[in-house]
Amino acid sequence: MKDRLQRVLCTLDDLERASQRPSPLQRMDARAKTAAATLFLVTMLSVPLAQLSELLLYALFPIAAAAAGGIDYGAVCRRSLIALPFAAMIGLFNPICLRDTVFSIGGVNVTEGWITFASILVRGMLSVQILIVLIRSTGYLRFCRSLQRLGVPAALTAQLLFVFRYIRLLSEETLEMLRARDARGYGRRSYPIGLWAETVGQLLLRTLDRAEHIHNAMLARGFTGRIPAVDTRGGEKWRRSDTLVLAAWCAALLAARTLGPAERLAAQFI
Amino acid sequence: MHMSDALVSPPVFAATGAVSIALIAIAVRKIGRRGDARSLAPRERQTVPLMGVAGAFVFAAQMINFSIPGTGSSGHIVGGILLAALLGPWAAFLALCSVLILQCLVFADGGFLALGCNILNMAALSCLVAYPFVFRPLMRRDASTGRIFAASILAAVAALETGAAAVTAETELSGITALPAGRFLLFMMPIHLAIGLCEGVATAAVLCVVRRYRPELLADAAGTEAEKRRSLAGAAAVIALAALLTGGVSHIASSDPDGLEWSIERTAGTAEPADAADGPLHRAAAAVAERTAVMPDYNASAAGVIGSGAIIVAALGVSGLVRTLRRDR
Repeated sequence: MKDRLQRVLCTLDDLERASQRPSPLQRMDARAKTAAATLFLVTMLSVPLAQLSELLLYALFPIAAAAAGGIDYGAVCRRSLIALPFAAMIGLFNPICLRDTVFSIGGVNVTEGWITFASILVRGMLSVQILIVLIRSTGYLRFCRSLQRLGVPAALTAQLLFVFRYIRLLSEETLEMLRARDARGYGRRSYPIGLWAETVGQLLLRTLDRAEHIHNAMLARGFTGRIPAVDTRGGEKWRRSDTLVLAAWCAALLAARTLGPAERLAAQFI
Repeated sequence: MHMSDALVSPPVFAATGAVSIALIAIAVRKIGRRGDARSLAPRERQTVPLMGVAGAFVFAAQMINFSIPGTGSSGHIVGGILLAALLGPWAAFLALCSVLILQCLVFADGGFLALGCNILNMAALSCLVAYPFVFRPLMRRDASTGRIFAASILAAVAALETGAAAVTAETELSGITALPAGRFLLFMMPIHLAIGLCEGVATAAVLCVVRRYRPELLADAAGTEAEKRRSLAGAAAVIALAALLTGGVSHIASSDPDGLEWSIERTAGTAEPADAADGPLHRAAAAVAERTAVMPDYNASAAGVIGSGAIIVAALGVSGLVRTLRRDR
């Protein structure tokens, strides 16, 4: 569990550092990127499960976006695997239930169930990949600000920003507490629920006290309950290139969804 | 229980998204009224800054495991009921939503479009259904430890069982899995009953600790008596529903794996017998999919799959080449 908290801290660090790295995608307006990612998800998820060949083609979009953002696609791919287990568990029933053969390669019959199972996995991976590329090229703070400028109420975005900042604080505090507990535990490894509750309760009370201090400090500095939507460093502008890229992205998505390019190409060659 | 985007289809995430956005809007309005800093009592004013910390607290508390006696495994808390007892249902709902959004964005836990489902399944059902209708009516200002445990366990089980049922319904309506709804429920219900029991015990244990040191924090959980009487009927209804879902559906599902669909079929009045993967839920999903489909349905062919795979490999090669070239420069 300590490893998990340390991993959380590393992830947060890594994310903010990655989002500072300059690249064409990083310079793009965050609102345009959010819209592009959402459109990608909607079109990709509307592809029927049986059309595995079309679905595979959608991998081109995260690959292109990662390339534009200077992000290692291999790492994105590996990270997208962690989201799979639950989807895979649900999807695994498909090969059992659907046994009609669709086609056979080299004597191996590929059934409908396996095709849909593969589709579920591809959907899961691609949807996570596009999110990773979005957030790694934007950064969480900038993303929240763009949400606010898109019209999401300030109460929610302020909440999102607060949680993000406090998570780092509380993770460190929790790590400290667990280390202290283990140091006094004489080698104890597992903690029954009573001791666990005592730890979590203490964490909660400390947290609340600290929140009060921080809030009073913020009020003293003129906090009104709203975090400004515009970055103090001048903010970002929607440029013409953003519109063009977004339009091209939409056109490509539309073409992939309506024309069925994979099967058409395959028909050309056979 | 985070649902990934892989398991939802456009009609389902549109519907759940709309409901979630509406709920968030209501919560924001309620909180906004409380957050008006000039007019309010200090305790009320504290809610807004508390929410951010409370969200982060739930996130951190989820990282601390406890051992479950007799099984050798360990579990962690989800925290919906606990948050609601500290902040009140709407503030807790908003705090949990922000945690879910952050988990989705930063840690890839649950999908972006599936956020609507996740917010409904985890935040709304625990904070807005189980807490006000089960937990609060059962609590008293000077509740005994046993009462706190009973209320927490019942509320947590109700929240998780309804959540599990919602996951099943959303997946089935998406038409993603070929698994019949009855068998799916049979698979989800017992797991979530166990999780609910652990969650309830853990929640109660933390609440007892909080009450020992800072009883004033639990003000929302010990509401006025008149309010209590009104919502007792609701509590009975929700507990009955949860019990029905747990016991009844599981029983039907186990005695006849397709029993749920059979019973839906009977109430719907359609007479034709259903295949295993062709229940009414599947047919409804298929009808929606048909209407929303842009082009006629056709299946993948071997050539198509291989061709697409080849294109992806080529694209990976090109992007890798570009990266190495850029790094050399």
